Amino acid sequence: MNFISRALVLGSLSTVVGCASMKGGTKSPDTTEPTPPPATASLVDNCDDTQKGVSKEADALASPYGIDQHVDKNFPDRKVSWLMTDGAYQKFVVQTGAKNFGRCNDVACYLFAAPSASIQGAVEKSKTADGKHDPAVLGQALGLPAKNFEGPLRMMTLDLAAQKVCTRLPVDADPGVWKCTTPDDKDCFKFGGYTSGGAPEVMVINAPVADTQVVEIP
Amino acid sequence: MSDEEVLLQSPLLYRVLRGRDGALSIEVVVGGIVQFEVRVRLNAEETESFQREGRAFADRMAQAIMANPPFGGRSVKSPV
Repeated sequence: MNFISRALVLGSLSTVVGCASMKGGTKSPDTTEPTPPPATASLVDNCDDTQKGVSKEADALASPYGIDQHVDKNFPDRKVSWLMTDGAYQKFVVQTGAKNFGRCNDVACYLFAAPSASIQGAVEKSKTADGKHDPAVLGQALGLPAKNFEGPLRMMTLDLAAQKVCTRLPVDADPGVWKCTTPDDKDCFKFGGYTSGGAPEVMVINAPVADTQVVEIP
Repeated sequence: MSDEEVLLQSPLLYRVLRGRDGALSIEVVVGGIVQFEVRVRLNAEETESFQREGRAFADRMAQAIMANPPFGGRSVKSPV
């Protein structure tokens, strides 16, 4: 009995001391260097070998720039957004029960996306008093023709880091690339990570529908 | 719109439709960070090619439209 009582007392004491140490009450000064935050993983690490190969070639073409610098500079929170007309969303995502957003071939599904803050900011700015959006304001904010934004839209948002989604610079060979034909073209593809209107963009591979937030823009 | 028959729906984000008058058209999702649909009515030659080759021809035509959405002035934005 005596031994058990002593053990219980010692156990209680060590718990009290332990808690005090955690609060810093009795802890001696820490002389070790602060641990640097872990380096942010490259989104290309989420790619399969095929997409890693495409990304490597794209980075070589864009050198000394590359996808990692592009993401650090323009997508600091690793969140992307994109817009679709409601008609396209209903016909090609909802009605087909699509698992991934984007244009799919036998290899993967390919989706252009921009920084969430840019898209959401532009959408917010375009809101009108009647609860709809002004295509002209949205077009101007994103450097694209207003006609692309007519009618109800859907805005999608995806956290690339949290969902570990493969992301790289877009390339000429990607499905859906709209090649610029005149210097005045504003909504066509130019290599380098920016739309012809100057908006940052990335190519997202196999963006999962289930993990994407979808908002209606009347 | 509801009177149209969907002849082919592709994961490349296009579909081939037959209208009430029997004419074929192709509806293609174009654009990058903003995606919208355009339609092109198939001419007689394209209709014959689709009937002969099916998806292979439709894939080629859809990709040509994605790469150049005005498609020589033949495309129209799909009705909202």
